[in-house]
Amino acid sequence: MALRISIGQYYAADSPVHALDARVKLWCVLATLVAIFCAAGPAQLALALAFVAALLVAARVPAGRVLASIRPLMVFLAVLSLFNLLFVRTGEVVASLGPLSVTAGGVSAAVIYTARFALALVTGSIVMLTTTPTQLADAFDRMLSPLSRIGLPGHEIAMVFSLMMRFVPTLADEASAIIDAQSLRGGAFDEGGPVRRVRSIVPVVVALLASGLRHADGLSRALDARCYEGGSGRTHLHEPSIGPRELIAAALTAAFVALLALLGALA
Amino acid sequence: MTVPPTPIRLSHVSLVYEGGVTALDDVSLTIARGERVCVLGANGSGKSTLASVVCGLLAPDEGEVELVGERVCSDGAPDIEAYRRARRSLGLVFQNPDDQIVTSVVEDDVAFGPENLGVPRDQIAERVARELHRVALDDYAKADPSRLSGGQKQRVAIAGALAMEPAVLVLDEPGSLLDVRGRSAILRVMGRLARTGTTLVHVTHFMEEAVEADRVIVLDRGRIVLQGTPDEVFTHGPGLAGLGLEVPFAARLSQRLGLPWTCDERTLLRELGPGPDSRKPFALSGSGTKRVREPGPDPVLQVERVSFSYDGRTRALEDVSFAVPRGTSTAIIGQTGSGKSTLLRLLCGLETPDAGRVVVGGNDTRTRRGRKAARRAVGYVMQHPERQLFAESVEKDVAFGPRNLRLPEDEVDRRVNAALELVGLEGRRSASPFTLSGGQRRLCALAGILAMEPEVLILDEPTAGLDPRGRALLRRVLERLRELGITLVQVTHSMEDAARADRVVALDQSRLVTVGTPREVFSRDNEERLSRGGLGIPRSLRVARELERRGWPSLGDPLTTDQLVGALGERGLPLPSRGGEP
Repeated sequence: MALRISIGQYYAADSPVHALDARVKLWCVLATLVAIFCAAGPAQLALALAFVAALLVAARVPAGRVLASIRPLMVFLAVLSLFNLLFVRTGEVVASLGPLSVTAGGVSAAVIYTARFALALVTGSIVMLTTTPTQLADAFDRMLSPLSRIGLPGHEIAMVFSLMMRFVPTLADEASAIIDAQSLRGGAFDEGGPVRRVRSIVPVVVALLASGLRHADGLSRALDARCYEGGSGRTHLHEPSIGPRELIAAALTAAFVALLALLGALA
Repeated sequence: MTVPPTPIRLSHVSLVYEGGVTALDDVSLTIARGERVCVLGANGSGKSTLASVVCGLLAPDEGEVELVGERVCSDGAPDIEAYRRARRSLGLVFQNPDDQIVTSVVEDDVAFGPENLGVPRDQIAERVARELHRVALDDYAKADPSRLSGGQKQRVAIAGALAMEPAVLVLDEPGSLLDVRGRSAILRVMGRLARTGTTLVHVTHFMEEAVEADRVIVLDRGRIVLQGTPDEVFTHGPGLAGLGLEVPFAARLSQRLGLPWTCDERTLLRELGPGPDSRKPFALSGSGTKRVREPGPDPVLQVERVSFSYDGRTRALEDVSFAVPRGTSTAIIGQTGSGKSTLLRLLCGLETPDAGRVVVGGNDTRTRRGRKAARRAVGYVMQHPERQLFAESVEKDVAFGPRNLRLPEDEVDRRVNAALELVGLEGRRSASPFTLSGGQRRLCALAGILAMEPEVLILDEPTAGLDPRGRALLRRVLERLRELGITLVQVTHSMEDAARADRVVALDQSRLVTVGTPREVFSRDNEERLSRGGLGIPRSLRVARELERRGWPSLGDPLTTDQLVGALGERGLPLPSRGGEP
């Protein structure tokens, strides 16, 4: 229970974002992410923020849930922005303390990069929370179908991805149980030098590997019993449908990208 | 209209695994449409292999197999295409629910099989709704399976198999990893299926689950040793115990009392009648009751007004207080979700209470130093500890803890030897843990914890998922540890195990229901409070109270079979002249 992994943590709710066809959702998100990473000026960032906030409201996912799922990455982001703040040396010096000095360029880099990454993470997290792994896998399946035409296992890649999503929480729980059990038997995960710490991981990895193999064994039995034979001949409970909702989503995304580009051109 | 083919026909089937282990030895078996067949056998009897052969996942080395009209294997030569066609009409549900669920939404998982079969979309939706209704999970269509209980997950797996509309549904120990409640829900679903004419093959080691079957097949070392209706098979009563099967309580009791063999508690109660005529006064004799160790002045574990929450909102434990005297054994009982496992984590210093305190051998776990000392003092045997084995030999796995303590090599050796001797694995010290039987693997994991020489041993459902032989083995080891003065605390679903402990702690919905000796906890006054918490009372006590209701004089609240048999004898029931349980 110590490990909390947000992948595959679908949040069930009844919202237009949930109902959106996963393929359209992924293309829209891709466009949104590219646009967010191009946003530079304050007006553009504000627009991106407004768009993501609107997305969050439309998705009916509690903001706390989203923040919780990106928290580990936010720490990384904070460190990154600190580096930007201290080591970017363009523009005039705004403040200095001993050997350290902060420049205007540093401040704007810190703000822009942090804002971009944070907005991108929130967007990504909303997609993960509103799309079931099966929908994602199906969407990838269709997006990868050109691969199948040239002989690459597009569908199988998508299936592996879907199974991975399914088993991440199971294996995470097992890993934390193994770590607890071994630390009760004197395994030193939080003490000693780096060599000792790394060595203490080995028994955990071995036990986890054994349990992974056990799951793989059971899973292959289950897949055989349920007549899974690859992508050909499969039907789908959720057939993709491009309806008015998908068109509206595409139009809104296009409007956002266009507006962002316009703001960029004006500035 | 053509007559549907016989679903399953095996003739002279043998199967040998790598390494020369014979799993099936000349098995011939025909299962008719609509039949409910129960396959009984201990671990290693070949019953799981039979299940795999019957549902077309494993081809035998010898013999002929015909599945749903397809001749899939003749003289050990499998016809892959025929197997693929046959598998489309065969459903399988097996032990571990986690491995059978392939998606993260219940509804999608049920749809997975029909999708693979290429069923049109509107029909899939129909089947999903129908099967979820059948397993009483209508409200969980959009749920995430990883958040369901084991029993619910297993019902999802059954719905997923049924949505493929199989001619035969094979269930391979579907309840062995579930609690009592989950298991009885699975049995209810199976009963409903049998009534609607589904062909069922049910593999289990619980004889109680076989009572409803049309036909019972008993396997031992890969051979069919008994076959017939439940009544026919169970008349071989006493011999069945020797095949490593779990003999139902009613059967064991009828045997002890010298009554005709029966698996049905109602029949047994009828046999015992309204009580003997000679209403001689009854006094509970000393031999039948266990000496109750009073809580000494020296509690090794103290839980004082402890509350705990994982997420800061829902309470996993609320205001729980009790003490565990040194050298005693304590059973913690409560339904899944009542907070039992959380309580164990607090006792081991893996979690710190939000309010109140936990003191382990004088160390308060609120401080880092206290937690560290607490972890030294307790050994924690988690659920399914054998899943955590990792070393290449039994010996090395057991030595892991002592080596971490940086003990000198001869001390490590001494501890490993002592621990292996305690669990009776001295002979297997250089074997790989992965080659041991299920029961032995668990004992190996237990030895690894005993090598830390804990004062207190904390166990989370130590017998869960083991076959009857494994359970008996483990109970004997725990009894030995108790004699050595190690304090035992175990979570259990078995009221019989709880009755054998010195003290019982009952939890319900994060709160303490009652704590005391088994006699106090299972007293008449508590019965209603326990049943509100989803808890029963030991079977012997249940039978005794039912007999008293039917006119027997007071039987003095017997908690174990021995006490019940003794009490019945003293009340004038003639007993066969043999003592002790087989």
